[in-house]
Amino acid sequence: MFDLELNITSWCDYLRASGTLSEDDIVELDNHLRDLVDELVESGLSEDEAFFIAVKRLGNVTYLSEEYSKVNTEEFWKQLHVEPVSTETQKQGKRDILLILLFSFLAGTIAKIPTFFGLELDSLAYFKNLSFYIMPFIALLFALKRGMTKRLVWPIIGIFVATAVVVNLYPSYGPHHTETLAGIHLPIMLWLVTGIAYMGDQWKTSQHRMNFLRFTGESIIYGSLILLGFMVLMLFTAGIFQSISIDIEPILENYLLIYGGCAAAMITVYLVETKKSVVENFAPVLAKIFSPLFFVAMLAFLLVVVMTGESPFAEREFLIGFDLMLVLVLGMVLYTISARNIHDQRNPFDYMNVALIIAAIVVDIVALSAIAFRLSEYGISPNKLAALGENILLLVNLSALLWLYIRYFRKKVEFKTIEIWQTKYLTVYAIWMAVVVFVFPLAFGFH
Amino acid sequence: MDVSKDLVAASATPLILAILKQHDSYGYEIIKRIKEASNDQIVWSEGMLYPVLHRLEKNGFVDSYWQKAETGRKRKYYSLNPEGLLELENHTRQWELVHSTLTAAMRGHASKEGEHDV
Repeated sequence: MFDLELNITSWCDYLRASGTLSEDDIVELDNHLRDLVDELVESGLSEDEAFFIAVKRLGNVTYLSEEYSKVNTEEFWKQLHVEPVSTETQKQGKRDILLILLFSFLAGTIAKIPTFFGLELDSLAYFKNLSFYIMPFIALLFALKRGMTKRLVWPIIGIFVATAVVVNLYPSYGPHHTETLAGIHLPIMLWLVTGIAYMGDQWKTSQHRMNFLRFTGESIIYGSLILLGFMVLMLFTAGIFQSISIDIEPILENYLLIYGGCAAAMITVYLVETKKSVVENFAPVLAKIFSPLFFVAMLAFLLVVVMTGESPFAEREFLIGFDLMLVLVLGMVLYTISARNIHDQRNPFDYMNVALIIAAIVVDIVALSAIAFRLSEYGISPNKLAALGENILLLVNLSALLWLYIRYFRKKVEFKTIEIWQTKYLTVYAIWMAVVVFVFPLAFGFH
Repeated sequence: MDVSKDLVAASATPLILAILKQHDSYGYEIIKRIKEASNDQIVWSEGMLYPVLHRLEKNGFVDSYWQKAETGRKRKYYSLNPEGLLELENHTRQWELVHSTLTAAMRGHASKEGEHDV
């Protein structure tokens, strides 16, 4: 069955991807295309015939964007600000911005309340609860924007509330290993739950999950940029007040850091979401630039490990660092493949990606053997068990990705297959994170 | 008969301005009206029309506004402003000059026919 809306949307996306047309131009052309289709349908053509003829008549995308680029050149650089097209979207934009302000303020205030009860910002109890300050508001923002059904809203609220209650009711005895682990795993688990709010009613489909993965990558990039700007602001503010001998740092730390941090998170997700068509292309580009560099870094690391015989996995912090790097490799490979043109021939980047995955697998196996050795030598501990679980999950993920990728660039499977597999696997991560948060403290007697 | 590419490009501005002088219009309709006015001889491509329209807007000869069309969709309408009207007159004079010069040159006495039109 021919879906006219879908085809028009994807045609508009092509125009958008060319980068030379403004959002207004696209709306105008979209309207023009629809007028043409209407006219052709009236003259007796079917919708699909009308669509193809209309698209042909409008000229191919390259031609259109070249013509536009002759007029639009100065405007390329203006694209990223939020410019509403009509009064309707203007109203919605205003409402969104008010929501962002309100939510940033609420999130900041909730993050502030514990400090009134003497909780230090760098205490474990504060750290453990970090995700509860911001993520419910991000989830709420998307629930409102998507107009989500009650069927989904209540379970999501339920998960947030239940998690908050359980995590804070669990006792914690020194050396607080299970509590720390919960603090580390909780944000990832809750981010995936927030993802359900982001994806809305279709959160089970691989297409929407892939969008969420892209959204996550872009949010990390833009969040880092916004945080960087924020830190510059803090530094300068502290600096200029120092010049008149006033120490403003306590105020900065107590208020600006908390409220600003929450606002940065809210603004990031809003910006990435509203301007996804403009910013979407960044993660794949970064991935392409950095994947060879990460490959070299991992190779150098493996060489040094082999030559010196040092075991690098003695500390928890290092293990976390390694796992994050492996996740990053996964992300980079995914982003590069998702940006790849299906009709492209095998190219150097494919070999690069395969080499990168293999290097990551080797690093993961080294990590796993180190953990296994420590487990057999010193017995089971929550830290080691959590690390074991994570590295096994990553090993399975990386191996599957390698297998599917090789089949993909031999044209045995489509990208869709990789997408479906990878997005299904997200559930496994969510479950494991939940196990570490909820079951580990019980199993290890809250130590 | 095909009108040469250069001539299409050169005549686009006065033709658009002339159509907008009648009443406000939008891209799709402009193309249609040019087609009708030329008895289907001149059919513009969208890739040519819109950049010219946008350039006219940027140069201040044409204004634009969004309005809901009878189809229920938002449509970008263009309207001629006083600057544009002057520009249209300017263009018309130039075209008349070229036209009379061409006619006179064909008859073999360029100078006298061409002069009073200037």
